[in-house]
Parts: sequence; structure tokens; C-alpha cells
Amino acid sequence: MDAAQFVMPRYELTLILKAMQRPETVATLKRTVETLMERGAVVRALESLGERALPYKISKHNVRHTRGGYFLIDFYSSAKILPTLLDHLKRDVDVVRPTLLRTDKEMGSAPYCFPEPPKNKDTLPRRR
Amino acid sequence: MFQVARSPAALFRLLTPRGGVLVEAVRGRKSRNDPKAKSKVDRVKLPPPIDPEEMVVLKERYREYDLIVRALRAEFREEVMRRRYEEQVGSRAEERAKREAEEHRALMEWNDRENLRLRQLREVRVQKQVEEEAKRRAEEILLHEERRQCVLKEKEQEILQLQEDVKTFITPENLEQRIEEALDNPKNYNFAIDKEGRVVKRTVLP
Repeated sequence: MDAAQFVMPRYELTLILKAMQRPETVATLKRTVETLMERGAVVRALESLGERALPYKISKHNVRHTRGGYFLIDFYSSAKILPTLLDHLKRDVDVVRPTLLRTDKEMGSAPYCFPEPPKNKDTLPRRR
Repeated sequence: MFQVARSPAALFRLLTPRGGVLVEAVRGRKSRNDPKAKSKVDRVKLPPPIDPEEMVVLKERYREYDLIVRALRAEFREEVMRRRYEEQVGSRAEERAKREAEEHRALMEWNDRENLRLRQLREVRVQKQVEEEAKRRAEEILLHEERRQCVLKEKEQEILQLQEDVKTFITPENLEQRIEEALDNPKNYNFAIDKEGRVVKRTVLP
């Protein structure tokens, strides 16, 4: 069907930026959103989760980061631009970790995983 | 004449060579070309003696007996043949044919009546089935149509919702403003929940 070629799924980009001063953060975010818009994405919203301590120390671009700013960008875009986008973000010095997720499809209920019940040790050990 | 014995019955050694082969006594030991035995050379074989008078009487009796038995046999054979003939081509045959034709006609009539009755039943049943089928199909179509309408409505709702949302999207003009807004209002999605389902949202970021 032709309609399938023009689908724009909804993605969420979680950006962990270096702990910087406000104007630099603003500049980085602006840069990132403009990159997105250049590649034909429609940015829906931009949220900040604040500057906080990272769960573990991350080394990126020869710098060891202890704190970072978390930002969420949800946008609609074609799937073709994503590899290049991720590549671009990985090369950006101010970005510690970019993470891309798809948000429009509902996940079906996955089957539960229970731990196996303990096996009875009735049998004699095998004679070797 | 000589047969190698497999069973020990009637065994006796005759002219046993040193190998010790056992032979069985069988009737007609002598074959055709063996010479007569010395004790039997002068024997003259005579037929059994008969008494002429006895023979005459016997012959006469046998002749009568034979005559009677053959006559009886012929009588019986003739009766059987006559009966068979009557069966196939005779007065009884005609009556039988008429009776059978009558029976055949009656049975065919019965068959036709049964067919008619069953046919009527079948027609009624088939009619009912056809109607039911038509009704079911109509219902199915209605249901399908309803479902389609539902889906369409949902899609329309979604589209309207999206059209509303478009107003909140980020454009190059309000990009900076939105960035400032986002930085000023950090959001916190962390929460805690206990078994009763009470949600607690007072996580403090380090």
C-alpha cells in the first residue's frame, strides 16, 4: 500500500548532556532541535528532567562525567533519518548519551517469566 | 522295489552291505523284469470257481433290480424336469408373473408417495434454511457496517486530537522560548507505590 511509505512514527529522544552553564545548554539544545528539524522531523515537545547525578560515571570524548542534564524530546519523523541522526549525536562533544525510543505502538502483554522451581535432590548422584 | 527307510516300522536287514543300510518291506518287491521265484515257476493262476445255477439266478435278480432302480430314477428325473418347466413356462408361471407385476406396481406407487412426502418436507426445510441464511448475512453486514463506523469515528477523533495538539508543537520561532521554559520547569517522573496502590511523588533528585 502506498500509505505505508509515508508513515511517521513517534519517537522519544532521551538526551544526557554534559553539566554546563545555562547559555551553553541552551545552545546545545537549540543545535540539536535544529538538526532534527532540518532532517524533516516534527518536534512535539521538549522536557527537562533537571541536572542530576548520573547513576554511574560515564566516560565520553575523553571526559569523565559525574553529573548531567537529562532532556526528553518527543518528535515525529521518518525512520530513515535515525541512523544518521544517532551518528551525529554521538559525535557531538556535549552529548554524553543519546537514546532513541519508539513511543507510538502499544506493547502487547509479554508472557511472564517465573523463576524455575527448585529441583528435588532425591536421586543419587551419577557415578562417573 | 527297495526304498530307503526313514521310519523304523517293518524294518529288517536284507543283504546288508557293510555300510548297514536298512530297507523296508514294500508290496510288489519284484519289478517287471525280475525272474519268477523258483517255488512259483509252475504255478497256474486260475479265476475263482463259480456255480452256474447260482450265477444264473444272481444275474436274473440283478437284472430286475437294475431295471426297477433305473425306472424309479427316470421317474424322479422326469418329475423334477416337469416341475422346473411348470415354474418357468406354465399356468403357474403366468399367475406368478401377474402377482409379481401387481406387487411391483404397488411398491412403485408407495415409493412415489414417499418421495413426494419427503420432497415436501425437504422443500420446507430448505426454504427455512435459505431464509435463515439470508437473515444471518444481513445481520452480519449490519454488524460489519457498525464496526466500520466505530473505527471511522475513532480515527476522526484521533485526527481532531492531533489537530489540536499541533498548536503545541515546537516551531523554529518559539524554539528558544520553549527551551527556556523547559529549563525553568524540570519535570520529575519518579514515584513510589505500595501494595495498597497509594502513589507517592516526593523523590528528591541528588
